[in-house]
Amino acid sequence: MADAGDRMFCHACGGVWLRNADDMVCPHCESDFTEIIEIPPDPDADLPPDRSPSAPAPASARPNPWADHNPWAHQEEDDDLDHGWGSGAGTGPGNGNGNGFTHRTYRSPDGRFTFSTTTYTHGFPRRSPPSQQPVNDPLMPVMQGLGSIFNGLAGTYRQQNAPGSSSNQPQTPDRDRGRTLGSFEFDIEADGRAGRQEGLHPRDADGPQPMNNPLRTLSDILELFRSDFGTNTQAGGSGVRVVGGPNPLAMLSTLLNFDRHGDAVYSQEELDRVISQLIEQNANRGAPPPAPATAIQSLPKKKVDAEMLGSEGRAECSICMDTVDLGTEVTILPCKHWFHYHCIELWLNQHNTCPHCRRSIDASQHEEPEGTRNNPTVIPDSPEPAPRRSSGGENGPSQTHGAQSPSGWSSQSFSSWSSPWSGSEEPRRSSREGSGVAAWLRSRLGGGSS
Amino acid sequence: MGSQKRIAKELAELVESPPEGILVKLADESNLYTWHIYMDGPEGSPYYNGKFLLNLTLPTEYPFKPPTVSFKTKIYHPNVTNDDKGSMCLGMLRADEWKPSSRIQAVLQFARQLLAEPMPDDAVEGRIAEQYKNDRKRYEEVAKEWTRKYAVDS
Repeated sequence: MADAGDRMFCHACGGVWLRNADDMVCPHCESDFTEIIEIPPDPDADLPPDRSPSAPAPASARPNPWADHNPWAHQEEDDDLDHGWGSGAGTGPGNGNGNGFTHRTYRSPDGRFTFSTTTYTHGFPRRSPPSQQPVNDPLMPVMQGLGSIFNGLAGTYRQQNAPGSSSNQPQTPDRDRGRTLGSFEFDIEADGRAGRQEGLHPRDADGPQPMNNPLRTLSDILELFRSDFGTNTQAGGSGVRVVGGPNPLAMLSTLLNFDRHGDAVYSQEELDRVISQLIEQNANRGAPPPAPATAIQSLPKKKVDAEMLGSEGRAECSICMDTVDLGTEVTILPCKHWFHYHCIELWLNQHNTCPHCRRSIDASQHEEPEGTRNNPTVIPDSPEPAPRRSSGGENGPSQTHGAQSPSGWSSQSFSSWSSPWSGSEEPRRSSREGSGVAAWLRSRLGGGSS
Repeated sequence: MGSQKRIAKELAELVESPPEGILVKLADESNLYTWHIYMDGPEGSPYYNGKFLLNLTLPTEYPFKPPTVSFKTKIYHPNVTNDDKGSMCLGMLRADEWKPSSRIQAVLQFARQLLAEPMPDDAVEGRIAEQYKNDRKRYEEVAKEWTRKYAVDS
């Protein structure tokens, strides 16, 4: 069948020429990846039966029919383009191997929404089947996946909008090429009348004009919404509609509150507000949880005896500061500190720790019954006069181990103080030990930090 | 009820035998829960010779909740907020550090000690804390200047 009427098609550059004797080399690019075409090429004709489905019809003498292949060529002829799909194609300034890109624009029927994809194709000499091309672009599967998604969407949309042409599913010829780079753009047209005009995009007779300023960024789109909502002067009104409150602009500004959006703040005032809120929320965070009522009620009670009163023969409940006399019934915590029942109950209802030593009243958490056994730190009753700027540790730790002063408010209450603290606090505290009275106060009051 | 008794008792002790440099008064004789504290700047500190007025407010849940202390006199100090509140950050007054066995006397002594020895690592005024750590001389100059300006009766 290789008569003189046959034509040759070059798979590398897409050129078509009349077959010239036995010369199978493309005169355009000198590639020998050519094919004899038995049927004279017709862009609108069906594919020849002996061609693979992936091979496009040789459109014309354009250098790269892959690049210009328009899967919606038929539809463009059948459909009213006002709600159809446009596609444009351009050929990149590449070599004869057909580097190029395909630009597609999907446009909603009213033209308000435009979705365009640009697929860049690196041409390869088609000496080897495309399936054997190494897929060395890590993005390629992603792009192909996206492409198939979009194609699927496009197909669905087209079926909905153009049921008569639903058989023409868009095909992406580039996916059959070895290497596909793609980019996708979402364009929302602000005025609803502009249409993209690129490449060979057919002109929309209903008046879409080239859009001067394509929206590329999120802020552009947001700005579009904002202006759209603010003016709301769309004549057609068939595009994005906001069904909403009395003031869409206010609603939107609430949504788009850039001062405070979730956890992100953009102004110093808002940051301060968040910080103070966190401080308030955390004010009680570190505090121990309340003790269960049953645990409070089950605490042992005991009548105060002489031993409990200590050497002074008098003692007081350190919560109400009332003197406790011999024979008064008190409640004893596991740490051996004792209080009036109603006093300690009020405290334990808020925190399950001893008001003196912070040990939990939960018996399972106790290691030692008395802190003093291991660390007989005795704290003097009152601090020394404030030192001139403490010049070191000379009067520091030794002071805290001084003799116990018999008088005053703490002789009993604070006699055993330091060791029940959790170990984690100790190193920090000891590092400040050298600062004299401050250390005394800190160690006594637990006010190590402010 | 119980708290009033304890507060009255603590107040009586503080009035009878006030700690050094600390004078306690009720802001309002009919209200036990708001105290005025007059605190002398500790000797050797840049606040020396200054007389600082502090507000001490007791919650009705006292002693189960901590009191709050604030400087009414402006003071240049890493641990006192440099605003009209003059909040003082005392670790022992934090909810998780407070113990009902802590006493107002100890709170006040601790506050005064903080004037002698600021704790820049727990500062509420980071800038002053930095200055305290890195440029002590300048810090003392400013603190003295503020003391002279705001805390000394002319």
